[in-house]
Amino acid sequence: MAFKKKLDLKNLDIKKAAKDFWYGKPHGERRLGELYEDKTGLYKHREWRGVKDTMYYFYNVWLYNYIHMVIDVQKFGGVVNFAKGVWRYRWVGQTYLPVLHWFDRGMEGLRGEALRASPWHYRGMTCETIRQFQRMFAADTKLHGGKKNDLWYHTMAHNETVWGGIFYPWSDKFDNVAMEMIPYFVTCHVNSHTVHNYIDAVQSIGLPGDPCPMCQAESGLFVLDDMPDYAPFTITSNEACDGSVATSILQDWFLDKPLFAMPQPMQFDDPLVLKHCAREIEECWRFIEEQTGVPFNWDLLVKKLEQQNELQRFEWEKWEVAAKTSYYPINGVAQALYRIYYSQDGDRQIWHDCDKKVRKIMEKCVRKKINPFPNTRHRVIAWSCAPLYFSHWCTWAYNCWGLNVVINMDSLMFDMTIRTDTYDNCLEDMARYHMWAPMRRMAVGGMHHIFELWENMEKFNCDMVAMYDQLQCKGMQGVHGLFEDEFRARNIHAFWMPHALPDSRTVSRMEIRRIINDYMTTVMHEEPLDPSLLDFDDSMGW
Amino acid sequence: MKKCKCKFGRFLLKLLGVALVANVALFIVFFFDLDGKLLFNVVEPFLKKHYDDMERKDTLQMPYDMDKYPKYDY
Repeated sequence: MAFKKKLDLKNLDIKKAAKDFWYGKPHGERRLGELYEDKTGLYKHREWRGVKDTMYYFYNVWLYNYIHMVIDVQKFGGVVNFAKGVWRYRWVGQTYLPVLHWFDRGMEGLRGEALRASPWHYRGMTCETIRQFQRMFAADTKLHGGKKNDLWYHTMAHNETVWGGIFYPWSDKFDNVAMEMIPYFVTCHVNSHTVHNYIDAVQSIGLPGDPCPMCQAESGLFVLDDMPDYAPFTITSNEACDGSVATSILQDWFLDKPLFAMPQPMQFDDPLVLKHCAREIEECWRFIEEQTGVPFNWDLLVKKLEQQNELQRFEWEKWEVAAKTSYYPINGVAQALYRIYYSQDGDRQIWHDCDKKVRKIMEKCVRKKINPFPNTRHRVIAWSCAPLYFSHWCTWAYNCWGLNVVINMDSLMFDMTIRTDTYDNCLEDMARYHMWAPMRRMAVGGMHHIFELWENMEKFNCDMVAMYDQLQCKGMQGVHGLFEDEFRARNIHAFWMPHALPDSRTVSRMEIRRIINDYMTTVMHEEPLDPSLLDFDDSMGW
Repeated sequence: MKKCKCKFGRFLLKLLGVALVANVALFIVFFFDLDGKLLFNVVEPFLKKHYDDMERKDTLQMPYDMDKYPKYDY
């Protein structure tokens, strides 16, 4: 070893070493896999990206986000509520403290404008996550000796797939917080182990292990009494999948509060179903009026919808750049998570702030013709529901194989603005938006929508499909064979990625990487860009 | 006046020194992933033990009274 080191030193090319230090190593020489400690996924040291990019990541991402997390905690409810929440609820304490590692995993290998645009998306999600759990804690009777404070009376609880826009008419006096978005959905991305407790809890009371693990985990939060009591009533949905109807029943039992159920219909292309859904939204508004004693505010609804439309219009601009150029500076995981988060969460100031920053960077890339992903070998579209515990697989896939995930199904779901010219038009569009819920429109929403893949593949100029295969989703399992037939008939390169949504124990990250490696070597006959990333064990990692 | 300027200069130098040391220390924490290592090896195991040992309400003992609230049909 000592001899080897001596030899290396002897052969050291000073000029090359100085260049690598200043600019960072070129893609093929980075050997990012050697940075990991075995099993834990911790870094022996974080990546050296050259002086400029390392310092950018250190100051503008790592330090900036640590500081802003403290500011956000203080701004949205204070350190005392935060400390109480961390001590009381596993999903926040075990998950959100190492949030900067979530940034690291998503941003590995990024340079230049991609390293500037993608973290802004993570910053937006981090801020909104803190707002939500801090609101829960500030209003929570469990943290305040059973006392129902003013915030408790002014907060509305709902399922994570009830779009935040439903509550716009009361947003000047009330705040709405989804029950599961932060205790379940986001935790799986940040620390993949936390959710296992909730899946196991619901199975321990006798529920079978084969339904969708998302429904299991969400119910498990209630079984373990790990859901804050932060609102006087709740609005539920079937989470766009009939497996979740049972979740609503368990929530009705354990919450023991006035509950309005507003399920997304299974057949939604029918105009009569659209009318039914619009009527349900109106009934929901009547329910809220009755519970809060505050009347529906049309002007406020219009104002907030217009603001949300602004977000959608910028999303279309982003898609335009992603589809037609190679100058799109946002990586696959940032695109997917940010888009599904804000389109479901609804209008918040932080999304506008982040979009403003991203717009500047994107316009610079287009103006100066900067390609932020110069080692792209294949433009990939990812379809169906992604593994939550390995949403950063796209970052790995680009670093290892040059697979650039340009767009994904979750991003494309809410492809619409809401009309605000008349009440009827507005309600019709809101009903359509509500029905196009996550996992509904293009996953279990009928063949026409599931097969929107082909037109989007063409639109985004993609030459490969990453096909997610949620092993416990009965809806998507049913169309597996049809996709296989279509891939063959259309001569499309596609690899299947089996997973169990939040449960990393069914198909591990390592196994997913192996499947992609096999496809890239045996079918595509390609060599990895970074062989050190082919095989490593991160089973204990967050 | 000169003394005053000298004092201010020394204060500025000290401030710069402190800022420099703080930056270097933070960069070491960042570069060697010391924040991650602390959270993974110390904070998380401690909190997990706390959550595992926590007494929890047996939610299954709650009665499921389906008729407690109206049907909210409009």
